[in-house]
Amino acid sequence: MTSSNFPLKVDYCGVCSLPPEYCEHGPLFDKCKEWMEENLPDEYARLILNKTQEELEAMSLNNSKKKQTRGGKAMKNITKKQEVQKQVVVGRSMRARKKYVTLVRGLKTCDMNLKKCSKAFGQKFACGSSVTGDDEITVQGDVVDDMMDFIVEELGIDDDLVVDGGDIKD
Amino acid sequence: MFKKFEAKESIVGTNQIKNSVQRSIRTKLIDTYPNIEEYINDILPKKVNLKVVKCQDHIELISTDDEILFFKKRDGPFYPTLRLLHMYPNMLPKVQVDKGAIKFVLSGAHIMCPGLTSPGADLPEECLPTDTPVSVHAEGKINALAIGHMKMSSDDIKSINKGVGIDNVHYLNDGLWRIDL
Repeated sequence: MTSSNFPLKVDYCGVCSLPPEYCEHGPLFDKCKEWMEENLPDEYARLILNKTQEELEAMSLNNSKKKQTRGGKAMKNITKKQEVQKQVVVGRSMRARKKYVTLVRGLKTCDMNLKKCSKAFGQKFACGSSVTGDDEITVQGDVVDDMMDFIVEELGIDDDLVVDGGDIKD
Repeated sequence: MFKKFEAKESIVGTNQIKNSVQRSIRTKLIDTYPNIEEYINDILPKKVNLKVVKCQDHIELISTDDEILFFKKRDGPFYPTLRLLHMYPNMLPKVQVDKGAIKFVLSGAHIMCPGLTSPGADLPEECLPTDTPVSVHAEGKINALAIGHMKMSSDDIKSINKGVGIDNVHYLNDGLWRIDL
């Protein structure tokens, strides 16, 4: 290993994000195995197929009937992504009587990078755009209609998920 | 250190690092980890702006745009993150724990001496003084599973063989591993 060129490339399990050799200590070993079989067949062969059945059973914590093993309950949870309803709301909010800002909420539920989106909006509409909350982008100017088209076409979010929120009051 | 660590709660603020500070960090890193001098430009490209992410408990993370590279607590040494360590495993001196310890280490336990002296484990020949950052490997595995700093010198670990030998600073799947900037 010492002679190889750095940086080494290390593959990480897509399920539990650990290097695959540590998957067995994670809580979702079974799912990891499936993922590994599909995506990293070499690793899979090295880690799983070369072992006997007994060894495998010993590895899988989930099979043990004891509720609690020494060393605590192993690793907990690994925050399962909560299934949030995907919806992007585009609305506008009044600013200084006759000027508007456009608010886009919910992009995060569609796994978008807010910062990048905000940059894209700013460039597209030639106006100020900023991330203003946990899941909110404010674009200066009333661009609600264009914004909805833009989100559908450029960001590849499904048409049905994008909703016109009308006037949003803060 | 990162057992309870969540992006939303623990991060206080993010700042760009000034160029001059960036340079001093760079020299400091080379000082601490002479092995990475060759690769320092790959790790910290000169052109890229670094950010320092301040967190609770005086923890600071050094990151580029999308990746956290180093962290430190108060004025302590810089530690690499595990992802970085996996790419450059020679950065830190290695110690190895036995199989039985893996589970405990992965749930954040400090590393006890017996886990470092048993047959499956391995300590380097030369003496590691206290407070050295080390990478903790495991019996039969390739990649490091934790980063720690020596609570006792490795000679003491061998002779006393009791209690906490290495403080577990950062381990696989802790808050820092899972964090997403």
